Amino acid sequence: TPVQTDWRVNVLIIVFTEMRDKLRKWREDNHRNSEQIVDVGEELINEHASKLGDDIWIIYEQVMIAALDCSRDDLAWTCLQELKRQFPGSQRVKRLAGMRLEALEKYEDASKQYDSILQDDPTNTAARKRKISILKAQGKSAEAIRELNEYLEQFVGDQEAWHELSELYINEHDYGKAAFCLEELMMTNPHNHLYCEQYAEVKYTQGGLENLELSRKYFAQALKLNNRNMRALFGLYMSASHIAASPKVNATVKKANVKYATWATNQINRAYQVSYARCLL
Amino acid sequence: MSIKLTTQAYCKMLLHAAKYPHCAVNGLLVAEKQKEKKKDSHSTPILCVDCIPLFHGTLALAPMLEVALTLIDTWCKENKYVIAGYYQANERTKDFRPNQFAEKVGARIAENFSEAAMIMVDSTRFTMGCYEPILAIYDHHENKWKCRDCNADCFEDWCEAQKITSALLEGRSYESLIDFDNHLDDLRNDWTNPEINKSVLHLC
Repeated sequence: TPVQTDWRVNVLIIVFTEMRDKLRKWREDNHRNSEQIVDVGEELINEHASKLGDDIWIIYEQVMIAALDCSRDDLAWTCLQELKRQFPGSQRVKRLAGMRLEALEKYEDASKQYDSILQDDPTNTAARKRKISILKAQGKSAEAIRELNEYLEQFVGDQEAWHELSELYINEHDYGKAAFCLEELMMTNPHNHLYCEQYAEVKYTQGGLENLELSRKYFAQALKLNNRNMRALFGLYMSASHIAASPKVNATVKKANVKYATWATNQINRAYQVSYARCLL
Repeated sequence: MSIKLTTQAYCKMLLHAAKYPHCAVNGLLVAEKQKEKKKDSHSTPILCVDCIPLFHGTLALAPMLEVALTLIDTWCKENKYVIAGYYQANERTKDFRPNQFAEKVGARIAENFSEAAMIMVDSTRFTMGCYEPILAIYDHHENKWKCRDCNADCFEDWCEAQKITSALLEGRSYESLIDFDNHLDDLRNDWTNPEINKSVLHLC
């Protein structure tokens, strides 16, 4: 009967819309939840391809990358073939083919793929960054750092690259250089509380009274930008406590930092209360 | 002095690594506090009863690690536990040797617990079936870390650990595993993982 059919079709439409919207949200948030993307994306592609319109191409790309993460070469290959067919000769698709080679650990072939992109288009930043990722995957940290520095001399506004470089430096315990990268990011993104907070963490890790005081200031700044940043709040507590306990500070500085630490403790307690969670501080 | 792992401790370590396959992960192991040191205490192994997953991604920064150690220390005192070990899985699969950071944290823990162990997870042997233990256990001797062979003897009950860990991996329990990073993102996230503990108990 007509009413029953409508109900079933409506449910399918709702399910399809939800799945498509989920994928879009994960794309926008740059979420690396690859297993879920493969689950949702594979079903969407297999069952609802006709309803996706032009969205299908970006979904093929998203699902392909997630499939590589999950060692689903079968699915990745399918997506890649669809994209190759629709966009023959595309640099963007060539880069995806390169990523598949990387996933198969065929680093030399992948590198050649990216080199061929760069021959046609020397300013292709995606290909250059993939080559640096290969160095990282091979554990060649020093080379990756060197190449990334060279890249940033040319593409000084690439925030993703500055952030990647800061992480590479942190892993090498080169906190001074990591701080420099985060300073670049803070300059171009003064309202980003995460960069502020990460900079504070690096300064704290570097150690010494001067760096501790800087870290406290930047934890405080991060809190000003986002008063719900728990890392900044805890960081403020830790840095102020350490400064107050230092034999090198005078009574005034000590008193001020005790005040900061106490304020932070109260805020931490309140945050736990609001979450109905137990505060162990 | 050797350590042994319970199923719950081993399970949560592997679930943590499985949740973030593209990241380095680390965490702590806790043991029940021994009342007294007996004369022949070197023959009784320390039993690590639980695991606290800490961070994923960039590990080598100090402040949040200090916060975690402070809070977990308090929790340990309340539960008559002691922090007995540190585990780490590196970002690159093929990289299973301890780095400077792991040695530093391990040494810090050893200051408070002389028989502390440092554990590295070998991701190259990480399978859903969990057919073999994939850990490398390091003991602290004269300021150096020495690797000990990890086999079924390092577990309270290896068969049980293998079965339950495999079952939880298949069931994707790692999706609900909470580490300290998750807790800092949202305080309601409970790093003691009571739900997973229940699942482990349920499968025993």
